[in-house]
Amino acid sequence: MTTRPYSAKRRLRRYPWILEAILILLAAVVFVPVYYLIVTTFKSPEEAALHPLSLPAGLDFGNYAAAWEAMVYPRVLANTAIVTIASVIGIVVFSAMAAYGLARRSHTLHRAIFYLFLAGLMVPFQMGLVSLYKLINALGLMDSLLAVIFVNIGSGCTIAIFLFHSFIQSSVPLELEESAFMDGCSVPKTFWLIAFPLLKPVIATVAIVSTLNVWNDFMNPLLFLQSREHNVILLEVFRNIGQFSVDWTSLFPMLMLGVAPLMAFYLFMQKYMIKGVAAGALKG
Amino acid sequence: MNQRTWKRELNYSLFIAPALLFYVLFSVYPFLSMFYYSVTDYTVRKITNLSFVGLDNYKHLFGSDLLRTGLKNSILYAVLMTVFQTSLGLVLAVFLDRKLATRNLLRSVFFMPAVFSPLIVGFLWGYLMSTSDYGLINQGLEALGLGKINFLGDKDIALYSIVFTQLWQWTGWAMVIFLANLQSIPKDLYEAADIDGASGWKQFWRVTLPLMQPSVNVVAVTAMIGGLKVFDIILALTDGGPGNATQTIMTAYIKTSFNEGFYNRGAAFGVVFFGIVMAITLIMMRYLSKWGEKIR
Repeated sequence: MTTRPYSAKRRLRRYPWILEAILILLAAVVFVPVYYLIVTTFKSPEEAALHPLSLPAGLDFGNYAAAWEAMVYPRVLANTAIVTIASVIGIVVFSAMAAYGLARRSHTLHRAIFYLFLAGLMVPFQMGLVSLYKLINALGLMDSLLAVIFVNIGSGCTIAIFLFHSFIQSSVPLELEESAFMDGCSVPKTFWLIAFPLLKPVIATVAIVSTLNVWNDFMNPLLFLQSREHNVILLEVFRNIGQFSVDWTSLFPMLMLGVAPLMAFYLFMQKYMIKGVAAGALKG
Repeated sequence: MNQRTWKRELNYSLFIAPALLFYVLFSVYPFLSMFYYSVTDYTVRKITNLSFVGLDNYKHLFGSDLLRTGLKNSILYAVLMTVFQTSLGLVLAVFLDRKLATRNLLRSVFFMPAVFSPLIVGFLWGYLMSTSDYGLINQGLEALGLGKINFLGDKDIALYSIVFTQLWQWTGWAMVIFLANLQSIPKDLYEAADIDGASGWKQFWRVTLPLMQPSVNVVAVTAMIGGLKVFDIILALTDGGPGNATQTIMTAYIKTSFNEGFYNRGAAFGVVFFGIVMAITLIMMRYLSKWGEKIR
């Protein structure tokens, strides 16, 4: 009985000022590259070389305007958004359906299929790129956004099925569905009306993790999109950086435009994003 | 079986079909076909009427400097990333789990680089590490009276420079996963340890770490597999150079297959890579679960 106030006092006594100061300093250092990226977009090469970390002399958006036009930004942004939205919807819907089917049926075949999906968490499928390239060609999908979307769904569904499956088994009660069947509800109707709405937390997790993966994926667009009309943001950045020029600061607005959409998304949704990333890694 | 139950069973199978179709067609089939191509003479000059060449492509692997370096670098890179991402992420998480006034802000700053594309992070760090007049880090070194360091052009340190940029990017990601795990540890365990008079260090080793096993497993295995597959950041920072000093499995594979047109050699390399990933992952999982048993 006497130890309790002592320990409470001990916990209260020392607020870790030194620790906090060190962490703030570390965070400032970690933030420097991002800060440098932002301020350099407003500078001329001379100004950036002389005063790399000072605030820009003026807010000249000319560099941005030039980068916007050089990248045909509205087009690449639209392409990236189409690829991301279509892939994420495909991954969420198909994975939720498959996980549901696999969780509600336990024949040997279903279990085998589940393990086949699980294997995808480990196997480096990138090694099949040569065959995949051939396949995309044979299907007539080369240089189409659909190629990237399909490949994203094929690789993104493994982790998603894993997450949906463990959630359905742990938190979606079978009783509800049984009574729906008694009332003559079909399987698709039961799934969409009863089970799917209950999956909301996992849907958010899967959507966040897949959005990050798909938006930032560079290899698939590099291999399957060739014409400029079908470029995504990263391809356009890659293309422009390749043409190294003396006017190197003019490339910074392109880098900024490359990270800006996800950065904005992060600033507004950081709580959900951090939660989603943690849940995606740990649940299951 | 009456018609209604039969229809129900069919419905469940139809539910699995779309995901299975995409997965088998775009992931499993291309992967499996590499085993076949790895024993043929499939190159850019011979794409039909393939003939069987035995293990020739595999023999070539051992003589190829590009592929051997790629393998060595990827393993070194993955091990470094695994060790440092796990340990630094754990330290950050333990500190940021304490009630600090600024902890939410600090957490979001540390995590932020994880939402950027590795390609763009690569270009950005390419400028920061440059040896030309505007390279920020070398400007700093010179201001301190030290000499310039050719971070990306010196073959002995280029790979380590790349690891550094990726730790900058991904340590916050590991931290977030560790934090979620830490928050699930009941606080009364610490109170009990306090009453027993256990020091902060002892509490970390005896209470915290054993209960952190799930997240340590996830972070370590993900860092290892991701590390072995590293591609974007290399392309943006060094493109495998100087010489072949920073080639990795993926850059070497893409160079051999797509640039040089030796699909068969790329395929053989892929098969070897698959074996290595499986071996390392299984050894790691076994080691980690043994560790889990020992501390329990």
